[in-house]
Amino acid sequence: MKMKSQSSRQYRGERLQALTVRQARFIDAIAGRILPATDAPGAVEAGAVFYIDRALAGPYPHLLSRYTRGLRALDKHAKRQFGASFEKLGDEQQDSALGDLESGKIAELPNGEAFFELLRTHVLEGVFGEPSYGGNKDMIGWKLVGFPGQQWGYPETYINKAVDLPPITWEGLPKKPGQS
Amino acid sequence: MNGSIADVCIVGVGAVGGILAKQLTSAGLKVVAFERGPALKTAEYAQRDSISYIARPDQLEGVRHEPRIFRTSTTQPGNLRYGTSPFNVLGGSMLLWTGQASRFMPGDFKVYSNEVASGLADRAGVDLRGYDVVDWPIGYDDLEPYYERFEWEFGVAGVAGMNPFAGPRRKPYPLPPLKMTARMQLFGDAAKRLGYHPFIGPAAVTSEPYRPPAPYDTRIPERPACVYCGHCNHYGCHVNAKASTLHTAIPVALQTGNLELRTNCKVANITTDDKGMATGVKYFDPNGVLQEQRARVVILSAFVFEHVRLLLLSKGNGKRFKKGLANSSGLVGKCFFGHGDMRVYGLFDNFIINGFIGSGAAAMRIDDFNGNNFDHTGLGFIRGGTVGCSGDGAPVSRMDIVPPDVRSWGKEYKEYFMRYYTRTFDIHMAPETLPRRDNCVDLDPRRRDRWGLPLPRVTFAFHANEKRMHLFLADIGERIFREAGASKVWTELPRPSPTRQCGGTRMGTDPNHSVVNGYCQSHDVPNLFIVGSSVFPTMSGYPATATISALAYRTAEYIERQRDWFH
Repeated sequence: MKMKSQSSRQYRGERLQALTVRQARFIDAIAGRILPATDAPGAVEAGAVFYIDRALAGPYPHLLSRYTRGLRALDKHAKRQFGASFEKLGDEQQDSALGDLESGKIAELPNGEAFFELLRTHVLEGVFGEPSYGGNKDMIGWKLVGFPGQQWGYPETYINKAVDLPPITWEGLPKKPGQS
Repeated sequence: MNGSIADVCIVGVGAVGGILAKQLTSAGLKVVAFERGPALKTAEYAQRDSISYIARPDQLEGVRHEPRIFRTSTTQPGNLRYGTSPFNVLGGSMLLWTGQASRFMPGDFKVYSNEVASGLADRAGVDLRGYDVVDWPIGYDDLEPYYERFEWEFGVAGVAGMNPFAGPRRKPYPLPPLKMTARMQLFGDAAKRLGYHPFIGPAAVTSEPYRPPAPYDTRIPERPACVYCGHCNHYGCHVNAKASTLHTAIPVALQTGNLELRTNCKVANITTDDKGMATGVKYFDPNGVLQEQRARVVILSAFVFEHVRLLLLSKGNGKRFKKGLANSSGLVGKCFFGHGDMRVYGLFDNFIINGFIGSGAAAMRIDDFNGNNFDHTGLGFIRGGTVGCSGDGAPVSRMDIVPPDVRSWGKEYKEYFMRYYTRTFDIHMAPETLPRRDNCVDLDPRRRDRWGLPLPRVTFAFHANEKRMHLFLADIGERIFREAGASKVWTELPRPSPTRQCGGTRMGTDPNHSVVNGYCQSHDVPNLFIVGSSVFPTMSGYPATATISALAYRTAEYIERQRDWFH
């Protein structure tokens, strides 16, 4: 296999570590349906695709072939059902194709339900997980739901009261005395 | 101590092993303690990071090398399961526990007498065929002084006397309760209006800075108060407010000079002599080289799966232990059980809950449907479980909790999660599972760990008594949520895999029907002790930690008394 040049792995200003640009674009299209942008940003803006890329380059390299196979089958299904690549379909058609994947109706992909579940889980982890794993850019996911992040602690328990603290990451916490 | 004989070898240094090490070294015994994993610093296990600890437990150093095989029937090959309990590092899963520190109730030790022999099971209309219900050989009174020592050495926060179903106690809790949270308030008020008896569940989390006073062990270092960061269950505590042996018992044991700690060492089997006594252990050192340590007493404190595995792997010694060590009863690995992990969920339109704040163990609970505290006539099951509020968690812990009428992705899901992440909590049940011989742990015939040892294999399913109990408790939880004003309520019945695993080396008086006696001492091998939830003859509707800790103190005292073993 030929090594790809570094520039060919550039995607949205970051270098991909496991996925191809084409795969990353495809995953972004899916991520945009799993947690779509509305008035508030969604999974694309949170950079869920970069969480997935790092996961596949790091601890889960064995899942890359599942992604490759699964995405290929989903694209084929999209072409057969709607006459175009998944990325080129409108929102409703994309949702319909994903729904077929979710209910295991894609013939070429036995156990497609499990692949959908993997995609959904990875996308949402990429939105709501700690930013150090590649996703949740600018803590978008935490701001969406009102989670103040890895606060050192809380001065009170905020009973029936909105929490007014800006979210913070572990790395962003000021070091406390006695921390080993 | 290589080449020489230790007084005591301890296998596994978590909650139980840490307490045993402290007590035995303080009595002057020379102890060599083996821990499979490393000694981590606080910053190495308390990053409070939901990707590592919730989403990817299979990647954690203390988990990844020793999964177990899980199957629901003997006809299946089974799947690999990774869980943060056991957590194979110094201090064990107690680093990641929630901190629920309830004592068992007096009736939990006498299920056979109280519920089977008494005819109660018949009146309940329950079919107990296939179950193997027995009494414990010890009772609540035997453990009461040791529960007290656990509470005062580890710093348990609670309100004595608030739970009318709790057993009698000589001393109050050493610490006042943790701060009230929204879920405690909603649950407590609703349960009270329904005529139940809500109480603040005891938590081994410091509500104030704490150091044990005399007559308890004053050598234990002070710990600061909880900061309510909300990362308890499955996470390490960054301020050490949540009790663990790593910051209490283990440093004290090391200070005595009598403890030699061998971390990153994996015990492979227990050695025996021609009289059938244990002589020590064989273990893989950090370089994977097999070594031997001789000892006068061997104690297993490495949790259910490892206890069963080590005993089965230590078979041999001529014909004597052909079914496995300490297994003349044939019961090693049998009667494995735990709790069903069962939750009812509620959403609130008129109340902000902020479930991510607080201490995981700070909960309001009721015991009105626990154990034998209610009339079972005609219910079709015996026993029950504690019912309490829970629902801590960063968004990654909560993202899969979706009402049945909401699609789990897309715009609808996003709107749901954005609105309700801060407006929800769970009612958590701890339905106990009755013991059965066909729910068991053995060795997987094919799959092995990194040392080449067979992986433990679990075969487990819930049966009629559990299934009826689950539905009954779901109804209680849903009733409390509706009373509390939840706008949507739904139940998730337990997956067929018990949490808080117990059993496998049952305690009893008859060597034909149990593995260890009331002091956790093997009937067959008198200088072998097995300590932990594996010895439970039956479960309780509570988690095990306070009880295994009490058993550890009591067993240590028993071993200390055998002066002639140590010259």
